[in-house]
Amino acid sequence: MVETKFKLKQGNFNFAINEKFDAGITGIYGPSGAGKTSLLKAISGLIKPQEGVININGNEVFNAENNTNIPVEKRRIGYVFQEGRLFPHLSIEQNLNYGFNKHSPKQLSFDAVVDLLNLRSLLKRKPSAISGGERQRTALGRALLSSPDILLLDEPFSAVDIHLRSQIIPFLLKIHKSIDIPILVVSHDLPDLLKLSSRLCLINNGHCIGHDDYHELLKKETSLKLFASDAIMNAITMTVKAIDPAKGLTILSNNGDESDVRVKCEKSKLTYGIGEELKLFISSDDIALSEKKVEGITIQNQLQGNITDIIKRESTSLCIVDVGFKLVVEITAESQKRMNIEVGSLVWCLFKSVAIDVAG
Amino acid sequence: MTGIELLSFNTAEIQAILLSLKVAFYCALVSLPFALWLAHIMARRSFYGKSIIESLVHLPLVLPPVTTGYLLLLMFGTNGWIGQWLYSTFNIKIAFSFYAAVLASIIVSFPLIVRSIRTAIEMVDTDLEDASRILGVNRLKTFFRITVPLALPGIISGTVLAFARSLGEFGATITFAGNIAGETQTLPLAIYSNMQVPGQEGTTLRLVLVSVVLSFIVMAISEWMVRRMKARKFN
Repeated sequence: MVETKFKLKQGNFNFAINEKFDAGITGIYGPSGAGKTSLLKAISGLIKPQEGVININGNEVFNAENNTNIPVEKRRIGYVFQEGRLFPHLSIEQNLNYGFNKHSPKQLSFDAVVDLLNLRSLLKRKPSAISGGERQRTALGRALLSSPDILLLDEPFSAVDIHLRSQIIPFLLKIHKSIDIPILVVSHDLPDLLKLSSRLCLINNGHCIGHDDYHELLKKETSLKLFASDAIMNAITMTVKAIDPAKGLTILSNNGDESDVRVKCEKSKLTYGIGEELKLFISSDDIALSEKKVEGITIQNQLQGNITDIIKRESTSLCIVDVGFKLVVEITAESQKRMNIEVGSLVWCLFKSVAIDVAG
Repeated sequence: MTGIELLSFNTAEIQAILLSLKVAFYCALVSLPFALWLAHIMARRSFYGKSIIESLVHLPLVLPPVTTGYLLLLMFGTNGWIGQWLYSTFNIKIAFSFYAAVLASIIVSFPLIVRSIRTAIEMVDTDLEDASRILGVNRLKTFFRITVPLALPGIISGTVLAFARSLGEFGATITFAGNIAGETQTLPLAIYSNMQVPGQEGTTLRLVLVSVVLSFIVMAISEWMVRRMKARKFN
């Protein structure tokens, strides 16, 4: 666990935080210049706060009062920078082995990391001869092999173009399953963060304005304002129940038959095993609400649930519907009025199989 | 003068050529670690009085070499404050010896090697040094594993520049080390001495040619090594 309670001043910029981060992935979300990177840099020791305390797994790495400031190289931090920062004069193998310490206890072996991140064929190459996504995977592997107590990822997706992001996210999820350490991922891209974790810490104007589960954060006005620029995404974890290759569908279940979800997948992805856990993403504005189940329609996913919350936005309303799991549905204020949708209303949520994105 | 005559070196001439190479070699060898250290501090640290140190290091670049030689003589001569101490404590005489020739070369070429290495270090991204430290590697090891390899072309060209500058050093050497054949008479000094003697035009020309060829070879080797380094570093 990482405990941060400090104040930092850099020129005109002030940053203050008092948060704890447990093992598992926490997304650090906020606009550019909010102080997300400052948080990571202070934890790693690259910048020194003026006040406060930082603890990593019970070890005090910084304390302004008794002048404790453990040097960067002794903090056991895995840091993946925005641009990868691979050493250009070393091969991929040498980069991976750079922070490898024979004496420290290993969570993952060299071979395990190389296989996990699919780097075997790149080992002899130089960083200039591999792609952006491969560089980012190497940086991740290099950080993991230094046996860190905590993994910090600073905008790991922004240097990678959009279709390569899908190559990084499953690897991060695999890492999360392999090692039990806090992983903080900084990003200003909410859908990407939600693909990794629903636990978010929101940073705005140098402060943490919320640190909770995504669905809880949606209920607060301050956090909702922060999400306003992005499409509100639903991130749901489900288990594969059946696969229908003929129709190109994967049928997933959350609990019980009532909430089966049919996902249209490309042929290449129809290799999921029964019982495998998948993370599904569906944008809140891709879901429609209906009072009744609709027959004679191409939409395959129709889930019934109760509205537990309604959050008003400028011209739309976000309805949180409990269909066995929570779904955020964005409808216009006009529709809400017309259909008389209130907290407690029983509705059907309709969404197409092709509107679902799968990761993991 | 025939071609054969042009290539028939006498012992004194060969001695001057070898001595020049030896002085230049020691000059480059001794300068390098100090230059690396100072260039790194200048490139990466900011501290009170930095500009004064900078000006001091660069002073020999603008001072007439004979002035540099004279100042060295004042300090290291048998009556100078360092020279006196060295003689009374270790029985070592620096002025008018081989060491004086090396020391004069070092002082005169130091601004060149420091400047070259400093520029090369400044070009190395500090973010890479931070990345190295986060991976558990301390500052000193980071310097040798990241900064030095990435700045290597600049370090090599700086060292070669010091070597080449030493080959051409005249003013400070003649003032501080004298013009003693076989001990401090380097190539430029030998050329100068031969120019003063009527009938030595052949020797003078031979040594001048050697001087030109040597400088050319040194610079060509430097250029080739830097190119090779750059190519190897990123591919």
